[in-house]
Amino acid sequence: MSGGAATAGLVADPRPRREDPRLLTGQGSYVADVRLPGMLEAAFVRSPLAHARIRAVDTDAARAAPGVIAVLTGADLSDVEPFPDLRERTRPVRQRALCIDRVRYVGAPLAVVVAEDRYLAEDAAELVDADLEELPVVADMDAALAPGAPLLYDDWPDDRIVATAPVDPELDAIFETHQVVRGTYRMQRHTAMPMETRGVVATVERGRLLVWTSTQVPHVVRTVIARTLGLPEHRIRVVAGDVGGGFGSKLHVYPEEVVIPALAWRLRRPVRWIEDRREHFLASSHARHQRHDLEAAVDERGDIVAVRGDLVCDVGSGEILPPGVAPAFVSAGSITGPYRFPRSQARLTCVVTNKTPSGAYRGFGTPEIVFALERLLERVARETGQDPVELRRRHLIRPEDLPYETPNGRRIDSGSHLEAFERAVAWAETTRERLAPTARGSIGVGYANYIEGVSPNYHATSGLWAQQETSTLRIEPDGTVVVASGLGPMGQGTETMLATLASQLLGVPHDQVEVRLGDTDLSPYGLGSFGSRSTVVAAGAVQLAAGRLLDKVRTIAGHLLEASATDIELVDGRARVVGSPDRSVGLAEVAHLAYFRTFDLPPGTEPGLEATGAYEQPGVDHRPNAQGKLNICLTYANSTHACVVDVDRATGVVRLLAHLAVHDAGLLLNPQVVDGQIMGGVAQGIGGALYEQLLHDADGQPLVTSFMDYLVPGAPEVPELTIDHLSTPSTTTPFGLKGAGEAGATGVPAAIANAVCDALRDTGIDITQTPITPSSIRAALRATPDPTTTEGS
Amino acid sequence: MRCGGRAARPAWTGCWWGEDVVKPAPFRYLRPTSLDEALDALATLGDEAKPIAGGQSLVPMLNFRLARPGVLIDLGRIPALTGVHRTDGSLRIGAMTRQRVLELDQDIADRLPVLRAALRHVGHVQIRTRGTIGGSLAHADAAAELPALALALDATVEVASVAGTRTVAAADLFLGPWTTCLAPDELLTRVDVPLAWQRAAIVELARRHGDFALAGVVGARRPATTDDAGIRLVGFGVGWTPVRLTEAEAALAAGGSAEVVADAAAAGIDPIDDIHADAAWRRDGLRALVTRIADQLGVAA
Ligand SMILES: Cc1cc2nc3c(=O)[nH]c(=O)nc-3n(C[C@H](O)[C@H](O)[C@H](O)COP(=O)(O)OP(=O)(O)OC[C@H]3O[C@@H](n4cnc5c(N)ncnc54)[C@H](O)[C@@H]3O)c2cc1C
Repeated sequence: MSGGAATAGLVADPRPRREDPRLLTGQGSYVADVRLPGMLEAAFVRSPLAHARIRAVDTDAARAAPGVIAVLTGADLSDVEPFPDLRERTRPVRQRALCIDRVRYVGAPLAVVVAEDRYLAEDAAELVDADLEELPVVADMDAALAPGAPLLYDDWPDDRIVATAPVDPELDAIFETHQVVRGTYRMQRHTAMPMETRGVVATVERGRLLVWTSTQVPHVVRTVIARTLGLPEHRIRVVAGDVGGGFGSKLHVYPEEVVIPALAWRLRRPVRWIEDRREHFLASSHARHQRHDLEAAVDERGDIVAVRGDLVCDVGSGEILPPGVAPAFVSAGSITGPYRFPRSQARLTCVVTNKTPSGAYRGFGTPEIVFALERLLERVARETGQDPVELRRRHLIRPEDLPYETPNGRRIDSGSHLEAFERAVAWAETTRERLAPTARGSIGVGYANYIEGVSPNYHATSGLWAQQETSTLRIEPDGTVVVASGLGPMGQGTETMLATLASQLLGVPHDQVEVRLGDTDLSPYGLGSFGSRSTVVAAGAVQLAAGRLLDKVRTIAGHLLEASATDIELVDGRARVVGSPDRSVGLAEVAHLAYFRTFDLPPGTEPGLEATGAYEQPGVDHRPNAQGKLNICLTYANSTHACVVDVDRATGVVRLLAHLAVHDAGLLLNPQVVDGQIMGGVAQGIGGALYEQLLHDADGQPLVTSFMDYLVPGAPEVPELTIDHLSTPSTTTPFGLKGAGEAGATGVPAAIANAVCDALRDTGIDITQTPITPSSIRAALRATPDPTTTEGS
Repeated sequence: MRCGGRAARPAWTGCWWGEDVVKPAPFRYLRPTSLDEALDALATLGDEAKPIAGGQSLVPMLNFRLARPGVLIDLGRIPALTGVHRTDGSLRIGAMTRQRVLELDQDIADRLPVLRAALRHVGHVQIRTRGTIGGSLAHADAAAELPALALALDATVEVASVAGTRTVAAADLFLGPWTTCLAPDELLTRVDVPLAWQRAAIVELARRHGDFALAGVVGARRPATTDDAGIRLVGFGVGWTPVRLTEAEAALAAGGSAEVVADAAAAGIDPIDDIHADAAWRRDGLRALVTRIADQLGVAA
């Protein structure tokens, strides 16, 4: 049992996650586990068309169906305010919880049926008759960009929800006078696909709305419910319980999180809706659908003097809060990666199309640009006759460059960019040799270098919430320490993390700490979990709260021990006099005074043992400055991925033989938990690189709505994985911590694509698009004479 | 406990997929305990009824409401449909025999190793534990292993209705995607697999471990007779049904090189295009697989 003294710093504590016994033995409590007496169930009627005007929705037959309590359409909920359009310079979508006059994607909610159970609700939902007038469909980004494209929003001049057009004549001049290497890179629409789908249960309890929902942002959900339903926040309680994965998809607030509470409020009965997987494919955020035209200007020494890009993101219908354009801004802002390119420029266009709205997914725009940039570097190397490893080496940020500001204003405080790459190169060379004898086809090695923004200022994304995080620490009468936080964990070990922070920062044993999370009645207002922020911001908040609480403990203990408060230290849960450890009192004794024998408290000391700390990140911008520069994150973790693949030229099948993640997240509070984050991230990255895609036909009909067609990698698809930690403390964060939630996923598509092209280097095949499938590789090989097979025959 | 829509309640006594998880359209549920009872029910109900075996293909279709039978007839409690009858020349496998039971049967593994090899490609253990051999054949997925195997090994199936039984060669069973020659009132009761094969092998390519094949080939060989060279090559996942690659068989019998055989195979199919592989890939994949299997059959030139 560790605990130790409250220290100025934090130390690594690789303990097993305290939530795991509960989660692994089926003791977790998810939304679907909430059962209330008299609970009704809801089923949504969703649009079968991608784009249509709603003429009428006839609910008579559904209302008359057995067991049906209520059927509501968008018109019935017209007193519910639209979701607020908060983000500046993003065209308003005025999203309705239930569509009123227009549907813009297959799956858009048209009506909701509430019945005695889900079966009856589903049966009745089939009887709802929506009279829809089909409108021309904008099926993809090219259609949306075409002049005269049909409009999704009649009051917009075109289908661009966001368009930035930076002008820099100097940069244009550079591109005119240098060798230019260009490429167009595409990442397919795919998404987080958490194991637990979404779900909402709502009831009215003593005049208040009580809402369970599977979310990463309980307080944010509360605020949105309050604003749309017109209720004061104090009359709403949002509880997240255990969340079975989110990966960004659950940082959005969804229509069902408003509709189900509205139903419970109207009907005064508990109402439950659990998203089924098919609904999840249609109604939960998609992600990553981007196309990047990238260019590098190269001087006569082969150095890249500037990069610029024209980035287009297909955000689907755009009806999502916060808006789905945000990841694309991060793509644009990350155009230089960890490389010292002196100048850069990114133009960004986000278009709406008749598809499910897209939003956040682990990496938040970074995997897309890393794929494009790392592929472009390979092309630069080829077209300028350089070794791609050497090219990267020469341009990576070196220790002496730090702190380093990128041309667009990212302030990189610390990192091990070059060292991480060197380690990966050493690993890849020996691993390729080791595995060569097992290869059945052609073996190749690929790299990806990147930085991952940690703990963003959410204001640029959300238009409302920014970056604070608050924690409350309380010592109970028996000496137990309770930490309450507004984070929204989704399975990443946050309880363990908070207990470790409180234990180390106060000086109490780990198991003396209890954690309260995911309940807006129990936690101070927090922004939730996203952007690899949880550990960093929690450390800031707990540090402040622990300092305040310790002061009080010292005062009371000093009084009890007849010593000066400044001579008291808290070690292993006992307050003792520095230098005479036998003079000590337990926390329970201190609490006894604070709560019961309050008349014995030193004069002027308030009863109680509780303190709150609210952390605001220093040095992070909430909007771009006049030059368009924006430092959006508190710090930037760095990582290099490398992988070794085996490509069968006859079939185009790629076998992943080994994968390496060199990762620098500063001080690792719990290295085991970080390993888990990286492993899961790599698996998701493999999904995006090779398997997962959300396809639509020309009418905007989704072609992939089940796990038969959406191929999430399983254990057999994940190769031998090596994780190599570097640990360069941040200079801007509490204790030098950096986040580690997202980076595992980010470099995988780029590394795999580079490795596949390396395996096929004699053919000159240049992969510009994910997913990399047997069909896409064979198509490329068919178009290129294959030296190996021609030789062989 | 609610298991299958409003009308399903009367006959349910148990529910294998747990509470509250499925959302099929309403259906009635019957669980006969003898073959005659099942056939009578089918004869009376006709089109309205559907047999359910392991449910591994049918239940997802029910939950998506793609299949909406008025009545489900569960074949799970009919003893006559389960088990393997072994003779010197053949295996007679009851339609309701679980795929996992066949996979673990050591005697079958010794006498017809290709069956175990094929089963290992069928989904995952959990699926094979419920899925049946008869269900797989009756479901007739063009990318499934067992229909291709049945075709390659000259298997026959026994089909029963109230009118009596008939025997159908695998070659006549599969008419199109998910379509067999069975009438709505007929049940597939048994599969007879001859053991005359000296060698047989199966190879396939799938996107992930356990997925349906993007392309697959079963090859088999037995002594030639006057009117049969004794060579079978069957492709699956490459057309609308499992397909015999007769030109490739002939090329192989004529001692053609692996490449010639593979080209003949690729020329002999009319492959499908879907989101997992395009038609051109399916030809390429088939060519590669036929090359491999020619090696395994030991008849490559
Ligand atoms: C995730 C997953 C992966 C899978 N992967 C594969 C794979 O790789 N390869 C593969 O081959 N299969 C695969 N399957 C399908 C699986 O093998 C099924 O078990 C099989 O296709 C159907 O068998 P069943 O016993 O479950 O039949 P059911 O699902 O019960 O029935 C299927 C159909 O056959 C009819 N039927 C069943 N038995 C009879 C009978 N005796 N007489 C007449 N009609 C009958 C039913 O009415 C129904 O129409 C997969 C399934 C899943 C869920």
